[in-house]
Amino acid sequence: MHTISWHSVELTLDECIKCNICTSYCPVAEVTDLFAGPKYSGPQAQRFRENGQPHSPDHSVDYCSGCRVCNDVCPTGVRIAEINAKARAQMVAEHGIPLRNRLLGRNELLGKAGSFAPHLANLALHNPVSRVLAEKVVGIAREAPLPRWSTEGTFSAWMKRTRHRRLRSDKKVVYFHGCATQYYEPFIGQAAVMVLEQNGYEVLVPPQNCCGLPMLSNGEFDAAERYHRGNVARLAGFGLAGYPIVGTSTSCTLTLKEEAPELLDKEDPGSQALKQATWDIFEWLRELHAEGQLSTDFRPLSPDEERLVLPYHAPCQYRAHRIGKPALEILSLIPGLDLRESHARCCGIAGTYGYKAEKYPVAMDVGRELFDFVAAQSGAEITACDSETCRWQLEHGTHLPSRHPIEFLAAAYGRYDLERRRAVE
Amino acid sequence: MTQLIVIGAGLTGLMAAHTAAQAGLQVRIIAKGMGANHWHAGTVDVLGYHPRDSRQPVRRPLESRDVLVAEQPGHPYARVSPEEMQAGLEAFTRLAQEAGLPHRGSDEPGRNLLLPSPVGAARPAFLAPEAQLAGELGRDEPMLIVGFQGLRDFYPQLVAENLGKQGVTARAAFLPLSLVTRERDRNHVQLAKLLDEPERVAGLGRALRGLVKPGERVGLPAILGFQRHREVLASLVEQVGAPIFEIPTLPPSVPGIRLHTALARRLEALGVRIETGMEVLGFHGEDGRVLWVETETAARPLKHRAERFLLATGGVLGGGFQSDHTGRIWEGIFHLPLTLPQERSRWFRPRFLDPAGQPVFQGGVPVNGNFQPVDPASGQPVFANLWAAGNTLAHADPIHERSLEGVAIVTGVAAVKAMVGDRAPANS
Amino acid sequence: MPTLETEILVIGGGATGAGVAWDAALRGFQVILVEKRDLTHGTTGRYHGLVHSGGRYVVKDPKSAAECIHENRILRRTHAHCIEDTGGFFVVTPEEAESDYPDRFQAACDEIGIPCTEIPVAEALRREPLLNPRISRVFEVPDASADSFLATHATVQAARMAGARILIYHQVEALLVDESNGQRRVQGAQVRDMVSGELVTIRADMTINAAGAWAGQIAALAGAEVRIIPGKGTMVAMNHRLVNTVINRCKMPSDGDIIVPIHTIVAIGTTDEKVADPENLRIEPWEVQLMLEEGEKLVPGISRARVLRAWAGVRPLYQENFTGQDSRDVTRSLALLDHPSRDGIQGFLTITGGKWTTFRMMAEKAVDRACQHLGVERPCRTADTPVPGAEQGHYWLGHRLHEIEEARLQGELVCECELVTRAMLEDAARNNPTVTLDDLRRDVRLGMGPCQGGFCTYRAVGILHELAAENRTAPVTPESPQEEIANSPWEVAYLQSPGRHVRTGSPQEVLESKVLGPASPVTDPRTPVSNPNLLLRDFLQERWKGVVPVLWGRQLKQERLDELIYLGVMNADHLPDEELASPLTDFYLFDTTPGETSPGTTPSGQEKEASA
Repeated sequence: MHTISWHSVELTLDECIKCNICTSYCPVAEVTDLFAGPKYSGPQAQRFRENGQPHSPDHSVDYCSGCRVCNDVCPTGVRIAEINAKARAQMVAEHGIPLRNRLLGRNELLGKAGSFAPHLANLALHNPVSRVLAEKVVGIAREAPLPRWSTEGTFSAWMKRTRHRRLRSDKKVVYFHGCATQYYEPFIGQAAVMVLEQNGYEVLVPPQNCCGLPMLSNGEFDAAERYHRGNVARLAGFGLAGYPIVGTSTSCTLTLKEEAPELLDKEDPGSQALKQATWDIFEWLRELHAEGQLSTDFRPLSPDEERLVLPYHAPCQYRAHRIGKPALEILSLIPGLDLRESHARCCGIAGTYGYKAEKYPVAMDVGRELFDFVAAQSGAEITACDSETCRWQLEHGTHLPSRHPIEFLAAAYGRYDLERRRAVE
Repeated sequence: MTQLIVIGAGLTGLMAAHTAAQAGLQVRIIAKGMGANHWHAGTVDVLGYHPRDSRQPVRRPLESRDVLVAEQPGHPYARVSPEEMQAGLEAFTRLAQEAGLPHRGSDEPGRNLLLPSPVGAARPAFLAPEAQLAGELGRDEPMLIVGFQGLRDFYPQLVAENLGKQGVTARAAFLPLSLVTRERDRNHVQLAKLLDEPERVAGLGRALRGLVKPGERVGLPAILGFQRHREVLASLVEQVGAPIFEIPTLPPSVPGIRLHTALARRLEALGVRIETGMEVLGFHGEDGRVLWVETETAARPLKHRAERFLLATGGVLGGGFQSDHTGRIWEGIFHLPLTLPQERSRWFRPRFLDPAGQPVFQGGVPVNGNFQPVDPASGQPVFANLWAAGNTLAHADPIHERSLEGVAIVTGVAAVKAMVGDRAPANS
Repeated sequence: MPTLETEILVIGGGATGAGVAWDAALRGFQVILVEKRDLTHGTTGRYHGLVHSGGRYVVKDPKSAAECIHENRILRRTHAHCIEDTGGFFVVTPEEAESDYPDRFQAACDEIGIPCTEIPVAEALRREPLLNPRISRVFEVPDASADSFLATHATVQAARMAGARILIYHQVEALLVDESNGQRRVQGAQVRDMVSGELVTIRADMTINAAGAWAGQIAALAGAEVRIIPGKGTMVAMNHRLVNTVINRCKMPSDGDIIVPIHTIVAIGTTDEKVADPENLRIEPWEVQLMLEEGEKLVPGISRARVLRAWAGVRPLYQENFTGQDSRDVTRSLALLDHPSRDGIQGFLTITGGKWTTFRMMAEKAVDRACQHLGVERPCRTADTPVPGAEQGHYWLGHRLHEIEEARLQGELVCECELVTRAMLEDAARNNPTVTLDDLRRDVRLGMGPCQGGFCTYRAVGILHELAAENRTAPVTPESPQEEIANSPWEVAYLQSPGRHVRTGSPQEVLESKVLGPASPVTDPRTPVSNPNLLLRDFLQERWKGVVPVLWGRQLKQERLDELIYLGVMNADHLPDEELASPLTDFYLFDTTPGETSPGTTPSGQEKEASA
């Protein structure tokens, strides 16, 4: 049973004036009757929930994808998505967590396991038979875009391998890589290191673990708390010492900043120090730019004089960071880039939501708005998005490759090969 | 550096940002969430009732403005000349046209329209989107008000009966909601989006054709399409062979959200960034100037620097004003002085529908002729680079006098013109 | 003028009157109950919903406390579905840390037999995290909360099933007093149908005055002086359940020392002001202020949370020969006034005083005495007779949401805040006599949530109008308004259960369109629900009356949205039929004449004496 205080997100239900703006923008309620919308499942249902009730009165809240469009459009400040997340945690506390959600929550463990023999792991997972089995046995949608393990080692291994080439400097920044960069996409971390070093910063990568978000979004709060405690123990000291902690995964950084302390009702100094020190990498670069410190030594990204058409989709987590669209602002500095901003509400995947067999069709319907937007941008052959699962979903829904904006930035510095996805040193 | 930050993404903020962008300023809008456009009828109400005599609707708002201003010299409309008022409304009309949602007024220029409300009252409005115009109560054709069975936000018999009591010939009919959706739980915005699909419109058209009698016009709840609204409307009119109009109802307002979306997209195309989810918590000022405002984020306050700031956060409803149980009421960002009694016992009248309105909603931020918030004691601007417009302004109750959009548009445009000096000296 | 005959006439449709009618009907009497407005419109519908364990009065008024615990046990069986088993805490706040009251409290509970267990403060804080962490002791008692609307409806249904006739919106204009044979005898009453205006004569062998705070006025019609001490109590409702247990301060009862979780809200109660007129339900600013200040001592921070509404009820306190000044000092015990022996008036009893919790016992005592006077011996059966619906067991906060989810009725919600579906509303309107939307509010909790009617008023008016339009073509026209009301089925056992009001086939499955003729007004003078404009105005005003005292912050913002809807979108202040009024139109006005405005003014003092 999770306790409440006056700071608890549940109490923001008092802000609701029932105006229906959230429900009108909710991308999930629009495509399925299984979710009655954020007003209903959030501030409204919350008045009928209590600690210690015989059982959770409602279950449709499980269909909230957590995209936070509702929070963004709410004129009064109800933390609807967080209210829903807590209600889901209550359901999990009562009914236990399905194996599937436990698996999806254990991003780090899976990543680590597969990394021992990535070729084998990819083969084992990415074949039609196992996908059908995975759907039948544990309920992971067979079409959903699962990542592939990196066959060139983890990001930490790359850092170790290239340590003699890494920049040493008085200006230091801590990099939070997150599980996806560590096990599946180490090249994102390479791009980040290239960008940070280009700007004269030494990159520190202390030991760290999963931010805990997959567990939080599956209602597994106790496990998430253990992970969060681990990160506080390992990273809060850097924050207190004045080092910024930047991340390329918008979901990991959000979790460190707010999701974990808020959903777990953590008000301890360590959590607060970590929160204050954490930045989305583009949020941090934007500050650097505002101070005139960002290197703008860019070269065009297309070899021929043509402008590169780049549909950009800001992931839902940016909404939750409430920092605008810093990646868009920084990318717009790159010459020859024809950025097309997507106004689609959500790609549909919403973390682990779109992997669940029963939610996969909802996720694809939600994503339609984005896929159609990309299709309408003539000349677009690649897309950009800051969040890993969103990129995988974008690729799945558009059949175009999708890259992290940091890859474009690193490439514009001439320190990254966008085609082969590796650092150029 | 950003030249102007507009705080608030309601109609005031959008019109102000548009005016600024046209004047060549680099402008951004930051807002906590979506605003009153999403609730109101999608019309432009300039002055529906004279605040002192609210029995009869105002016939010609621009003429009644002169009477109003003479009686209430502090009214926001008193800060603009009749020509500026006209110009502001024309700027809106042009922008709405460019945005693909044309608005028009009565066939007799300068007159208020009278449109059916969802309870069948006659509501005065100065400009309305095309889809509402055929509902003008002054026209002769009898009405067929069509609802959908099970739709909780529209009651055609109620509309028809009340219109009948006011001398308008009207009858009611129901259509099955299954013409639009088989799902059980759909709000009006979702229904409108479903009607973007041509086959659904064709089905609705066939059903309506079977109901309508020659010479009738048809009123429907405002769900006739979203992105493809104009095509949907045109296609229905053609299929049914009768004038068709929408009646906006309870929030969420489909016409209002259509308008907001169209204007926002148009502004973005002009290079104006609109960022929502950003709640302004405070500001930093030095030497009588605002240097930056700070918004709340997941980790730490975010500074937004600009040369100028325009406050368009609305009043109590928009979130511009906060109040507490001790009777304190204050402007939430800059702590500007308000013309309101700090005493709760003087905020209200005995009746909810009191013809004189509620006193608490008549106060706001006092400004000078250039829309700069002033210290009432000295009459001097509080900050040299701060302007205010719309429903934050003192001496009007725009919901009560039905001037919500009029005040927003006219003052939003005029405040920016005053800011950039594109304006004859203010008369008050 | 129609004349009705009965053995027992009960005056008053609150908990007590309903209990008397139920008890008498179960004993085989012919019974008619008359109520001038809707059931529970008086004090029953205006209290905070506490089912007393007796703890509150155990030191000060042990007789009342003993009555409470006795009845508490019975009501949990007979009215199970109207009760939420919240349990109750008596907490010792820092203000009382030095007092010997807690020990006296515990001893007194033991003495009377109120189960009372001291629990660790940490345990109490675990269960109620928002409770003041500085409390020093906590006692747990079997307090609970009750839906007094539903309980009275259920009691009335039980009475009807036993043969009683219930006439609501019938106001007593005169008692039929016979003075022949040198003896005064009440032989019934003349009542006015407040809807049609018609006068009705009701002849009865025994008239039982259960008019609560109005009992003095009724007794005066028989020439008896009954000095009810109307003690007005103001309560403040918070927007949601900040606590889920009844929280009492462990001290002598006083203002603002109790927080009751009831349905979706918590109520902070109460003041106790002696008022001259039981219709004086005016809420002074200082009362709201005081509730919040006192509430802070139990739940620090509560005054910054959203306040939903405030309301007041008038206690029908009675103490023979009471001469004190403070109505707090009047006993909460029940009072049966035997007018034959007290005033020499035959055929007439008054039952008053007491608590909601003891209504059944009050009825029992009254009907026992009536039996004596009527010369019959019939034992009381109410204690062993559950009312319809009790088989559902106690309700819990989530029950509506749960049923909505199970039956997937989200699209059917009319009042979204309190989860009222269209079918619930329609069934309540069809099955219960309905004059105003406020009557439906008491049936199903329409409009009682955060938006205070902002969205559901329009919907309910539209739905009732559609119902009225259907009824217009209905063939059966009752003989008289009384018949119509009396013949309504009044099925209330599952009044508040969305899952019990499900229409087969959703409206979306209807494939035929329905064409209606030219609109002619649906106005039947005998069914005021048929005028939608009056319903709309009345309910908006009724909701306004209860929010004005607490309009600031978020609730003020809400009210402004409601204004935007009803002025801006609906233009509801310019609807036809402005001249129409219902029996309650004037009652709904909010009195803004200046009263005591300075917060913190003590309620005792001159104002009080002036009104005494």
